[in-house]
Amino acid sequence: MTASSVQLSLDGIRKSFPGKGGPVPVLDGLSFDIYERDFVSIIGPSGCGKTTVFNVIAGLLEPDSGTMTFRGEVVPGLQGRVGYMMQKDLLFPWRTVLQNVMLGLEMKGVDRAQALDTAREYLSTFGLSGFENAYPKMLSGGMRQRTALIRTLIMDPDILLLDEPFSALDYQTRLYLEGVLLDAVETFHKTVVLVTHDIDEAVALSKRVVVLGNRPTKVKSVHEIGLDARSPIGARSDPRFSDYFQTLCGELEIQTRQRAA
Amino acid sequence: MTTQTLKTSEVLQTSQNPKSSSPASVRPAKKPVARRRAKPGAFARAADTTLGRGVIQLLAVAVFFLAWEVAVRAGWLTEFLVGAPSGIWRVFLASMLDGSLPVDTWYTVIEAIIGFLIGTLLGSVAGLGLWYSAFVARLVEPFIVAINSVPKIALAPIVILWFGTGFVSKVALAVSLTALVALIAAYQAARDADPDLQALLASMGASKNRIFRSVIVPSTLPAIIGMFRINIGFALVGAVVGEFISSQRGLGHLIYSASSLYDLNTVWVGLFVLMFVGFLLYHVIDFAERRILPWRQINTAGQVQV
Repeated sequence: MTASSVQLSLDGIRKSFPGKGGPVPVLDGLSFDIYERDFVSIIGPSGCGKTTVFNVIAGLLEPDSGTMTFRGEVVPGLQGRVGYMMQKDLLFPWRTVLQNVMLGLEMKGVDRAQALDTAREYLSTFGLSGFENAYPKMLSGGMRQRTALIRTLIMDPDILLLDEPFSALDYQTRLYLEGVLLDAVETFHKTVVLVTHDIDEAVALSKRVVVLGNRPTKVKSVHEIGLDARSPIGARSDPRFSDYFQTLCGELEIQTRQRAA
Repeated sequence: MTTQTLKTSEVLQTSQNPKSSSPASVRPAKKPVARRRAKPGAFARAADTTLGRGVIQLLAVAVFFLAWEVAVRAGWLTEFLVGAPSGIWRVFLASMLDGSLPVDTWYTVIEAIIGFLIGTLLGSVAGLGLWYSAFVARLVEPFIVAINSVPKIALAPIVILWFGTGFVSKVALAVSLTALVALIAAYQAARDADPDLQALLASMGASKNRIFRSVIVPSTLPAIIGMFRINIGFALVGAVVGEFISSQRGLGHLIYSASSLYDLNTVWVGLFVLMFVGFLLYHVIDFAERRILPWRQINTAGQVQV
């Protein structure tokens, strides 16, 4: 069964950054697997190096040691294979919505006419037609983040890396975009790695949740989330939702107490 | 398109879209409810149009020259020391008719523009180029600071020695004044370019050259064009100072030789023409900016007035 075969595997990833008193270890032998068409959330105490994990996967940072295996092949990083989305929408202010969406296709060297067609198609799928020639400045926060999502999806990446993509949005917009994301992931058969500090979001969206410990970070535990409802609102009203929520909260809370002691 | 219409069309958009059952992306248009501390008076509001402002500005200029002329005629000011508007006008007409003023202006303007183009281009390219290597940038930084701290005007005598008393020395002086300003502005802007945008492109597998073209160049353009405004002034300074020191033609020559003859009216003609030229060039850059940076020209109608 392809759905459960390992797509990306991180093994013993270590990374430290130079600090005032010598190197500060951030990742201390991080290992976990991501399956094909998985939806993994990474949660952990703030400052535990979630974003560093991301940059390592994206190939923007080189780990000090450890290996990454992508579909059975050891790779240094996944440049060009990942779609990257952050809390900031990272739209290019000098590009129109259409040009922003086409960015990834341009990087891939797709023929311009074809890229235009694809971009227009995606924009209309996500309800943004009519805004092709608007500059990001003119859009609302939700629309900007939707544009960023389209830009990520249109590249047809193997893995979507989402770094707290919705945390700057208000709750309603966020629920809506979570729905859009889930639909899109379902339609386009994508693997998603979501970094969030929001346990609620992690439970509602993911198939599995990876909990990281304090810095230097190791994987503390991995939880399977068995909610059937595939909509952010449906999942939140599932009776088991609060159990998962409590468990994960507990796990993070213990760490807070340990830190206090 | 105003923000208002955008929001309304967004409402339409979302209601047509079956996916968005929740009005998630619809937020009420935020209108700034600014309580003005001091309300502009009825006159200020009525006059604050292009025409209204223009009339007031012209009136101010007319009053200024009229007062000047009256003061000279009444004997409160000596024409010998300050000139007089009527005399300035006579000199202006005469030098326009004999063709000497247009020629002088042409010289100065061409020197300034060529100096501006060369200096700004060299400086911008070098400044942007420093983005490629943080090592080289750190290496050359003290040299740039050192060279920049020399008042470039002090170079004028050497420049005249090296490049002669003609056209080239004025251009060289303008280049020396503009190049470092451009370099520093371009380098600063390149360093301030959003690292997250660069990371995004890198994650898409973009090469360093590609990142340079797609992120660094467009995001530094506003700063670089802003620097153009400063540099066009500097280029004029370079040309005029070069002409002061030694020249046969140009507005600087006109001003310098006239002032040594106590011909104040001619000096004023030179100064006013310089002012006009600078004003014109500034607006040329303004126009260019609006064409090159359409994304910066989004209306600010919703801005809070303080």
